[in-house]
Amino acid sequence: MTSNVPLLRISGLTKRFPGTLALDGVDLSVDRGRVHGLVGENGAGKSTLLKILAGDYQPSAGRIELDGDEVHVGTPRRAHELGIGIVYQELSLLTNLSVAHNISLGSEPTSGLAIDERALVETARRVLDRMGVAIDPEQKVGKIPLAERQLVEIAKVLTLRQPRLLIFDEPTAALGQADVERLFRIIEALRDEGVAIIFVSHRYREVLRICDKATVLRNGRVVAEVACAETSVEHLVELTLGERVAAAFRRQWRSERPGEPVLELFGLEVGSRVRGVDLTVRRGEIVSICGLLGSGQSHLARAVAGDAPDVAGTIRVKGVEAIPRSPRHALRLGVALITENRQEEGLFPDMPVRANITIASLARVAAGRILRLIDPRRERRLAAEAAAATGIAQKALGRRVRLLSGGNQQKSLLARWLMRRADVLVLIEPTRGVDVGAKLEIYRELEELARRGAGVLVVSTDILETMALSDRVVVLYQGRVAGVFDPRIATEQDLLLAMQGTLPRVEAVT
Amino acid sequence: MTVGATSVRARRAADRAALADRARWLAETLGIVAVAGALVLAFGLTSSQFLLAENVRNIFVQISVVGVAAIGETLVMLAGGLDLSVGSVVLLSEVISADLTATHHLAWPVALLAALGAAGGIGLLNGVLVGVVGIEPILATLGTLLVAAGLGQLILGLRYLQVGNPVFNDLAVKNVLFNLPIMVVVMLALYALAAFVVRMTAFGRMVYAVGGNRRAARLSGLSLVGVTVGVYVVAGVLSGVAGFLNVAQTGLVSQNDGMGMEFQAIIAALVGGLSVTAGGVGRVERTLLGALIVGMMTNYQTIKGIDPSFQQAFLGGLLVAAILADRLLRGRQ
Repeated sequence: MTSNVPLLRISGLTKRFPGTLALDGVDLSVDRGRVHGLVGENGAGKSTLLKILAGDYQPSAGRIELDGDEVHVGTPRRAHELGIGIVYQELSLLTNLSVAHNISLGSEPTSGLAIDERALVETARRVLDRMGVAIDPEQKVGKIPLAERQLVEIAKVLTLRQPRLLIFDEPTAALGQADVERLFRIIEALRDEGVAIIFVSHRYREVLRICDKATVLRNGRVVAEVACAETSVEHLVELTLGERVAAAFRRQWRSERPGEPVLELFGLEVGSRVRGVDLTVRRGEIVSICGLLGSGQSHLARAVAGDAPDVAGTIRVKGVEAIPRSPRHALRLGVALITENRQEEGLFPDMPVRANITIASLARVAAGRILRLIDPRRERRLAAEAAAATGIAQKALGRRVRLLSGGNQQKSLLARWLMRRADVLVLIEPTRGVDVGAKLEIYRELEELARRGAGVLVVSTDILETMALSDRVVVLYQGRVAGVFDPRIATEQDLLLAMQGTLPRVEAVT
Repeated sequence: MTVGATSVRARRAADRAALADRARWLAETLGIVAVAGALVLAFGLTSSQFLLAENVRNIFVQISVVGVAAIGETLVMLAGGLDLSVGSVVLLSEVISADLTATHHLAWPVALLAALGAAGGIGLLNGVLVGVVGIEPILATLGTLLVAAGLGQLILGLRYLQVGNPVFNDLAVKNVLFNLPIMVVVMLALYALAAFVVRMTAFGRMVYAVGGNRRAARLSGLSLVGVTVGVYVVAGVLSGVAGFLNVAQTGLVSQNDGMGMEFQAIIAALVGGLSVTAGGVGRVERTLLGALIVGMMTNYQTIKGIDPSFQQAFLGGLLVAAILADRLLRGRQ
């Protein structure tokens, strides 16, 4: 036993992407039988670090040692062989297969050419027993509750021949309190068996509860390593925040007196994720919703835009009460949505920027009832106007939108809804994957949309962004409103603590 | 200072990328034209008959039926779907138009309307199964392939239908433009119309949008059901037109008519640069070039006396080759 050598030692790990430095000389070491926390805001570099350890990304520079030997992870398969397992936040299970099949996916025991079903179930049972959970291995994954799926996800990783390093990426985001405790007992058991564990989470209380040490990342660098017994949630919050770009943004315009309400929610429920939210957005207002991952904020946003099932309660748009059945219905009411997945849910990659802008307003560029002929001159003019208002270069209008940078792609979507004259614009993580300069421009555009009389609702996990951008911040915790803040009075710490469910004072603003 | 410099550099890079994209697009279009040109050259040099005016006319007549059907297939594929029922709908349309004129002695416009109505009906069924019920296009249209073929054979029975109507004859024989008969002109006109609709109407724009990104189209407020039903109905009607033209060309309807025509239509679309894996990219008029390329190959093989069975195998090979080329081109992006 070479017990004085840490199981994992990372030194000088650097990852460059075109235009950004995602990791900048990161050092980190984790001992056997220890749980190591990894915290930091979105974009701090946590995912990049994880993906390098999982073999999905190759580092640009730096060294990774396992048990004192330098290793090159290279591929996910190699990560497996090395005994590195990752439990992802997004569940990666196949719901139409049984628990046992999922657990052994890709390494099924065989007899001859066929899968040995008995051995398969046996393997699953052994692993589940070891975790001390009672899940029927022959059940379809689709039939078991979300919390148990998370456990299956862990079981999957435990089938590694010899797990040495296990990484949990936001494992508690979708779990209730009792399930979190069960998860922690499993993590502790693994720890006591000598496995080294990295625990990634935004929930600092949980980090302090389960971890021995924690590393704080900010902008791709390690800013601190703390011993969890000697620190507090407040201290972690301070360390993660630091000073950042969004702080450079200052609102130049605010509505003098509140306009009429364009969006009103009363007792909104979305499945079990949003549980009775009241909210009002007025013309000329930018309201942010923030919360930890899985607090219900994106379900709320999608429900308002007609893109979520199981919506109950009252939604009023410009005074008209209706629960939108579809995005098409929501748009007719006046609500437009820009999601965090620009590529999958926003852009038509092979269409020119111009057509991407006008697609939602064809009625304004086409004439005639039956053939609905597009008037090219009108289309050019209207698209050019929308582009000018959102800061898209005119010569980019004829280019395929896939060729644009993330920032300009996002501006094309803003231009689409500007042209459509949406009364309520809902945005989820509007600056994700956007570089710093474009970020500020997008904030400016949102302000401009509000000035033109729209109500803007922004879902963001970036605290500074919501602070700088909005007139009001609504914090959700487990699907309920945990606090409403005026960002000119409240501090970042107030918001972060409310997001953690440790409620400070509530600044009521109406 | 430095900020300005980097943004200038970024803009230059973006300009370069746009230029490269233009060049690639041009290369794709020219590529297909070049392939067609190379074939003309090669076939012309190795066969004394190939470039004779009469043979060129023949090629156009031969492709006009598949060519019309391929317009509908192209629209469906642009919208991200697939229509396997084309050939059966051609048969159904043939049977109805021939039966009404030859057996029931109705005027040809009535027969045409009835045939197009039935064809459009199958298209509507396709559209509802895919767009409303949500069945995979390949499965839904496989079902309607059997339905339409069954209906056609039911009406036809175990007989041949011979059509003596002079109007049909004129379609295939009477030259109206550059030595080309009416049916070829009809096909060319339909391509022109389709190219116009796809470019210049809201419907065409929505077809590209739905094919390019369904989720985004939905969130942009487009009616996925409307577009899906629309393209399948248009495809059905165009297959109906193709059937009517086929009766004109052969003067005869038999049970095997239209068989496999969906594959010829798909091959024409693929050779023309459409994608089976992703909608939203491609041009209607390139499908005409695709049909022409396939038509020239078939014609050349016939001139050289190559066994029709081999010709069929060759078409199959061409289909696979076109899909592979599509994979490679898309994979590179």
